[in-house]
Amino acid sequence: MSTAVETPRRKLAWSGANLIVLVYAFIPVLWIVSLSLKDTGTLNDGKFWPSSPTRDSYSQIFNNPDFLRALVNSIGICAIATVCALVFGTMAAYAIARLEFPGKRLIVGVSLLIAMFPQIALVTPLFKIETAIGIFDTWLGLIIPYITFALPLAIYTLSAFFREIPWELEKAAKMDGATPFQAFRRVITPLAMPGVFTTAILVFIACWNDFLFALSLTSTSRSRTVPAALSYFQGATTFEVPTGPIAAAAVVITVPIVIFVLFFQRRIVAGLTSGAVKG
Amino acid sequence: MTTQTLPPGDAEVEPEGVRIARQRHSDGQKAERRLGLLLCAPAVFIMLAVTAYPIVYAFWLSLNRADLRTPDANEFIGLDNYVTVLSSPIWWTAFGVTMFLTVLGAAFELVLGMVLAIVMHRTIIGRGLVRTSALVPYAIVTVVAAFSWRFAWTQDLGWLAGDNAPLTGMWSSLWIILLAEVWKTVPFMALLLMAGLALVPEDLLKAASMDGASTWQRFWKITIPLMKPAILVALLFRTLDAFRVFDNIFVLTSGANNTSSVSMIGYNNLIGGLNLGIGSTISVLIFLSIAIIAFIFIKLFGAAAPGEGEKR
Amino acid sequence: MTDRPASSRRTRRTRYAARGLAVVLAASGLAACGGGDDGIPVVNLYGGAAAAGFDKIIADCNAQADGAYRIVGNLLPSDADGQREQLVRRLAAKDDGLDLIGMDVVWTAEFAEAGWVREITGAAKEAAEEGTLEPTIATAEWKDKLYGIPKHTNVQLLWYRKSLVPTPPTTWDEMIDMAKQLKADGKPYEIGFTGSQYEGYVVGFNTILSSYGGTLVNDESTQATVDGKTVDALALIKKFATSGVASASLSNSQEPEVFAQMQQGRAAFILNWPYVLSAMRDAGSGDPKSQEVYDDLGYAPYPSVVEGETPKVTLGGMNYGISTYSKHPRETLDAAMCLRTPEHQLQTALEAGDPPVAEAVYTEPEFTEAYPQGQDMLTELQVASSRPISPLYQNISTIVSTTLSPPAQIQPEQTARQLKSSIQDALEGKGILP
Repeated sequence: MSTAVETPRRKLAWSGANLIVLVYAFIPVLWIVSLSLKDTGTLNDGKFWPSSPTRDSYSQIFNNPDFLRALVNSIGICAIATVCALVFGTMAAYAIARLEFPGKRLIVGVSLLIAMFPQIALVTPLFKIETAIGIFDTWLGLIIPYITFALPLAIYTLSAFFREIPWELEKAAKMDGATPFQAFRRVITPLAMPGVFTTAILVFIACWNDFLFALSLTSTSRSRTVPAALSYFQGATTFEVPTGPIAAAAVVITVPIVIFVLFFQRRIVAGLTSGAVKG
Repeated sequence: MTTQTLPPGDAEVEPEGVRIARQRHSDGQKAERRLGLLLCAPAVFIMLAVTAYPIVYAFWLSLNRADLRTPDANEFIGLDNYVTVLSSPIWWTAFGVTMFLTVLGAAFELVLGMVLAIVMHRTIIGRGLVRTSALVPYAIVTVVAAFSWRFAWTQDLGWLAGDNAPLTGMWSSLWIILLAEVWKTVPFMALLLMAGLALVPEDLLKAASMDGASTWQRFWKITIPLMKPAILVALLFRTLDAFRVFDNIFVLTSGANNTSSVSMIGYNNLIGGLNLGIGSTISVLIFLSIAIIAFIFIKLFGAAAPGEGEKR
Repeated sequence: MTDRPASSRRTRRTRYAARGLAVVLAASGLAACGGGDDGIPVVNLYGGAAAAGFDKIIADCNAQADGAYRIVGNLLPSDADGQREQLVRRLAAKDDGLDLIGMDVVWTAEFAEAGWVREITGAAKEAAEEGTLEPTIATAEWKDKLYGIPKHTNVQLLWYRKSLVPTPPTTWDEMIDMAKQLKADGKPYEIGFTGSQYEGYVVGFNTILSSYGGTLVNDESTQATVDGKTVDALALIKKFATSGVASASLSNSQEPEVFAQMQQGRAAFILNWPYVLSAMRDAGSGDPKSQEVYDDLGYAPYPSVVEGETPKVTLGGMNYGISTYSKHPRETLDAAMCLRTPEHQLQTALEAGDPPVAEAVYTEPEFTEAYPQGQDMLTELQVASSRPISPLYQNISTIVSTTLSPPAQIQPEQTARQLKSSIQDALEGKGILP
């Protein structure tokens, strides 16, 4: 398997596997795209493809200033939260994977407990705290909870990867006179990249898709993110669901994620080079 | 895991060196402790600052009669709320549904996630395309994906339903909910597992291959043991989320035909009914259930758990 | 990727945090003033502000106010539960950022009992009630006091295919028989009804129960009043659900599915809100099949349960409440009155499809042109019923929709008993909600 020679037959086999993955990923997505292109007349016709595709839904959402503002909010809030969660998470995960210090297991345990508690029970007290200190309906008011709830996953993922890294290299760096912190930055960080970028993608997506906090901790378009903005879409009348625009918005907001993933997936390199393994 | 690199016998040969090393070691230990705490401090601080009060408050509310609309009747009632919830068939039905979705969901997701991870990791053509597109399901906003499934499975409106109305029966609904969940979260598993695969040294696989190990043997004997920490993390976090399944059920069936999950019951009591006492009790019970599952996982995986048993 | 990123991340983060803090400070400074920068009191409206064309009405009122107040329309989620969730959270925290609240008709008792909205008294009460349809006022009352200003209302109608049904049925039994006949003839026959486990099912059940003369709770909301009439209502729903003329998707049907049943030519009858007419017209503009249905679409009053008795159709709609925590109650009241003048009600009806509460509007030529079904709506509105008026309405509604689901598995006697004990438990604050 690993000693791959790229014979045409192998290429064909992998093309087949790839095709299955693409079908799995895209059939339901195409259905959402199709819904976004249907007009009100054919929305309910039960056909997979739109019979008379229309761009109405798209022009509708792009003419909605609240949606555009929400898009900006989402990108800003999620980018900041992801970077912060990664920095804090990497630091903590390194300590947990590499260092002996009192309270380590407690930290690991507590962060898991935080990830376990149903968030719905935390929303109202959080709302009270945020209104009290004046960060309700601000970017900061969303960024902080996002960092918090991303941290357990980040710490676990990163420490799981850090401990599999060949630490002889770090030792070698220390012998060359590097401080533990330098060893961490220069030697371990590059090796930890698959874990770090995996975490980055997961944290970003989790933040991007969050609905509960986005809805509960905002009140104006100043800080409302896209998933919350979606639930504010109005139909033509009270009982009509704006299926087309919602589907269109879902398609549009998936694009930044795809770009984000396209950019980062390269960093999840296939295996460590043999040179790195020899300590 | 990496202890074997210390040359054995060093210590016996140079007693003098041992003494110095021990001295340094103890200084180093202090510095290490300080560094460890320092590195963890920001993460711990922010997590506790945000969640400590809300979590403690939820525990406290669960011991009280606390209804937002009748504040005068609120009082400390000990474990009464727990008795009420645990003696209710509503809770146990929802618990069964949730377990069904969690166990089957996690199992399917682990197997499919591993397959997907291997394809994403190993494919020799179009790797960027495959990796990126495989993550698209996870990137779609859950509520919208759920709506599109609902549409697709509604009689005559959707291309999947045809003449049937599968969302009107308990089991057919549960399988559809499961499908929606699995479709959405297999990429989450796959991504974590793929990063685990990236840590398996090619050399080792190559060497094993030369020793005559089959693909299957290499997978079970080399890849899987090395991936254990990644598998644990993926399984653990996926299970935590699966047990709190809400969005898909809320949109697909609104809990009709006994398809409510424990989170839906929690939502109905806490947010709908404004009964903070019962709602918090359900939240705490969900929390305890998840804690038990997590504990079992960590015990099963033993030393592969973060913070457990690793040595330099 | 060695030492740069960590440090540059650092500085960027601090910079963002600083900027975030500046935004926070600026915002709290603004909020503390409680008014706009020009000193005009701001009336923050939550609820109904995003309805089509409502921004024009707000602008109109702001112009008329001439500096007395300025209404700012804020968005709320489009579904009622999402709206209530946000409002309740903020009102319970005594948030003074809400002034005027668009309350769903079923929230009145809850908001009033919790002290979140002010009682409307004196001249304001008279103005709110003058020319307003009596049943819609009842939805804004709790314990004989007025807590809301009726803004718009709604009632379901019977929609049917004129080519299949020469004279519309007046009772459920008649309608079911007609549907069975159509089925036997191999024609479109289904009866569309919102039977999913959600609020819309409670609306349908309440209409049938009220038409039998039954109720679910007493006026003080202390006792469950489930009785023989409840059993009758349950028996009728069961009969309908098992008669073979309901959609197979009945237990998963909300308004859009019921609409689609008609649009796709499967239904001969549907019970749905007045928006069906305009929505079918829109659908028809791009789709010949929908156009065919639109041309054949008839409407009639909701069928009754007993021959010759007028059905009591359940009211929907919205009332304006004035937040207890508002700093400008006087201005808020004025703003509410302006937003719901008969002219503005007409405008809302035409643009957003929300039927007016002012009886006079139903005879306006513009209205009768856009709403040919208006007279049937008015007939229903004059004797319409409210859903149970109770501070615990949300609990009661959850219990009703769950206990009665799926419709085909109702066992009238047994389901009624279960309903009674569950509702009684809820009223006494016992038990858990499904």
